[in-house]
Amino acid sequence: MDSNLVQFKKGVLELCVLALLARSDSYGYDIASRLSAAIDMGEGTIYPLMRRMQKDGLVSTYLVESSSGPPRKYYRLTEGGRKNLNDQKSAWTDFTRAVAAILDLDLEKTS
Amino acid sequence: MNERDSFLRRLRSGLWGLPRPAIDDIIADYEGHFDAGRAAGRSDADVATALGDPARLARELRAEAGLRRWEDERSLASALGVIVGVIGLAALDLFVILPVLLGLVGSLFAFLVGGVVVALCGGLMLPFALITNLPGFPGDRLQAGLLSLGLLSGGAAVTSVCILITVGLVNLLVRYGRAHYRLIAGGRSSALRD
Repeated sequence: MDSNLVQFKKGVLELCVLALLARSDSYGYDIASRLSAAIDMGEGTIYPLMRRMQKDGLVSTYLVESSSGPPRKYYRLTEGGRKNLNDQKSAWTDFTRAVAAILDLDLEKTS
Repeated sequence: MNERDSFLRRLRSGLWGLPRPAIDDIIADYEGHFDAGRAAGRSDADVATALGDPARLARELRAEAGLRRWEDERSLASALGVIVGVIGLAALDLFVILPVLLGLVGSLFAFLVGGVVVALCGGLMLPFALITNLPGFPGDRLQAGLLSLGLLSGGAAVTSVCILITVGLVNLLVRYGRAHYRLIAGGRSSALRD
């Protein structure tokens, strides 16, 4: 894969996880499978990322008993995580809007 | 031995040196992933492929643990942890910066040792200079005392500048390491992509 694209995706991975958790609490496998389908990442990458986010205080964890096997670890967005999501989200929206405007401008000139 | 066991075994062996509870915690995460995969009807082999290379994951987890420790406590041991962890990530361009890095660390170390020795000499000479005079020193006791004080403070200054530069250098390494975590570690998996 193009290394530029890898850098792009790495940058938005955390934003995507925050956005998923803002909708509802979730567990590692669920987050990994939803994101790997959408942005084509290795599923194993999610756990180092969750660990980092937990230590940064963006998410907290709790255990839920499951009917089959050992209890499952759920992640929940913290207050700091919610604030971080809002900041990143508005930065992302501004940025993509600006880039899209420039790309459209290019398109009009060439056509 | 099936895919699940061999993945977990390779991950665990890649994590040696981390605190025991941390290792157990990480292993539990991946065990849970395999369990959830089974519940979703995927084979262990498929889950293992989608997870990616366990050795690579272990290197990233270890490097991150090292970086964290440095951020929590500034010590020589944790600085070494950062250096070893970042080298363990083995990014390709590391070979470009490695000679520069080694040169920097080498000269820093030399200056550090020099500074400490000079400061020690000054410190040792000071009492002698004040009580008697330095043996074989042509000036009087005041001059000998000032000379010792000068050596002491000069050495201390060199030492502390070296320490400041080292702290800055390790902080740079931390940022370098974080920039090199890899996102695309996984193999292609079919089951999740439909």
